[in-house]
Amino acid sequence: MAETILVVDDDLDILELLKMNLEPEGYNVRTASDGESAVQSACTDPPDLILLDVMMPHKNGFQVIEELKDIEETKNVPVILVTARGQTEDKVRGLDTGADDYITKPFDLREVTARVEAVLGRTRPIKYINPLMRAMGEGFSEKGLEQLAGHLQAAAAIQKKLLPEQAPNIDGFNIATLLQSSTSVSGDFYDFIPLSETQIGIVLGDVKGSGIPAALLMVMIRTALRLLCHEEEAPALILKRINDLVVRDTEADLFATMIYGILDTTSSTFTYSNGGHCYPFHWTQNRDITVLKTGGMLIGAFEEATFTTGTCHLAPGDILAFYTDGITETGTGDSTTSEGSQSTSTSVKSDDEHEDAILTDMFYGGNRLAACLSKNASLSAAALCEAVVEDLARFSGSTQTHDDRALIVIKRDI
Amino acid sequence: MNFETTIETGNISTLHVEGKILGNATDAFRKEMELQLQTGRDKLVVDLTSVPLIDSSALGAIVTTLKCCQQSGGKLVLLNPQKAVQEVLEVTQLATVIEIYDTEEAARAAFM
Repeated sequence: MAETILVVDDDLDILELLKMNLEPEGYNVRTASDGESAVQSACTDPPDLILLDVMMPHKNGFQVIEELKDIEETKNVPVILVTARGQTEDKVRGLDTGADDYITKPFDLREVTARVEAVLGRTRPIKYINPLMRAMGEGFSEKGLEQLAGHLQAAAAIQKKLLPEQAPNIDGFNIATLLQSSTSVSGDFYDFIPLSETQIGIVLGDVKGSGIPAALLMVMIRTALRLLCHEEEAPALILKRINDLVVRDTEADLFATMIYGILDTTSSTFTYSNGGHCYPFHWTQNRDITVLKTGGMLIGAFEEATFTTGTCHLAPGDILAFYTDGITETGTGDSTTSEGSQSTSTSVKSDDEHEDAILTDMFYGGNRLAACLSKNASLSAAALCEAVVEDLARFSGSTQTHDDRALIVIKRDI
Repeated sequence: MNFETTIETGNISTLHVEGKILGNATDAFRKEMELQLQTGRDKLVVDLTSVPLIDSSALGAIVTTLKCCQQSGGKLVLLNPQKAVQEVLEVTQLATVIEIYDTEEAARAAFM
């Protein structure tokens, strides 16, 4: 959601100038031309930041800040003061009063944008925690906030540690992984579990939902899997038991999709089950891609879920690829998450193919991923992961990602 | 995304959604279904005829609502999901636990 900036100045030309400068940067801009209406506007609907002129008739900038700091809804709204050049006293007084930064007139518009972005960058994390602070009352102090931020960092660190740093070296196979996280705590995960001299358990999953609850679910699933894979053999049974566990212990709207399988290096087989996750690809030497569809329901939503085990034989040079939907749902210009409120005016029903074409153009999709793997099948597993990353960047026009992306490539040596 | 809800005979609520259910839009979708449940309407038809795409949180909202409906003896059914949505329902195998109908008549008949 676009952030809202309240610009306050008694000079209407400056208001217009700042508005014209900030709106193209993606901010909503509201304006007020005196101190009184600024306070009113800020209280009625607190903005994300206030750009506040000091020298105004009736009520000046300092008075506005003092009032805002006394009001619960506005006391945490960051303020950038706009002062006249050389008024050092103003700057000191402004910062003392609680302003977050200041800009001197006449200003360079690029400086305004940069300072706005810097202050928002600093205060953004706090803003999301504010409603929580209010809900928890006085006891939740700044110290508590620091603690919470610390816990978040710790959670992210624990999670990173749980993910293997590199893919295992296995005789006869070449394995590589890719993980790109959009936030500090990730929903995508993978793991490699040595089961015997010749067998290794491989899992790739995606916990739906976000933040700490999703991260906790991921840790729970990973731990359960690590224990269960030594007790049970059939991947379908293991997924069934994890499903039972998660259904019992979590809220309904928290669930995961995952693939678990055992790579056997003597028989060159991958025996797997799939809990509602994107179908893996099997590329064979005769240049076919087979989609592996065996499996079952997504994990953690329904008690009555059933799972099936499938086996896939890997000939020399064959490739197996597992991925999460963050890859296939990468959008052009990565617009996957920014559009939500538009409605389509075209009639979808009468124009199926047209709609298909739109979707194909909008998202990277399984077909592009399959094509990219086929085209680069002669490369090593690690180089294949790189090729996918490059192809995604070309498609989306960006190296940034809005969703977590994970990919495992397993290639049997020739 | 836009939607409108009609209450029909037999206290069946039909939620007609238009547009992609993604990102922020998912919240409104989830809240609308919650609202139906809170007002005691646990017979829901979600009309996906004009929904080209949904994301995983929309899927989560459907799953949560479905389970709530089932707990109170009601049910949630889907109407006419389009290709990309149908694929998601198949991959996650939600298609095996959610009733899916092609026509409004059939969907309504599911509650009789």
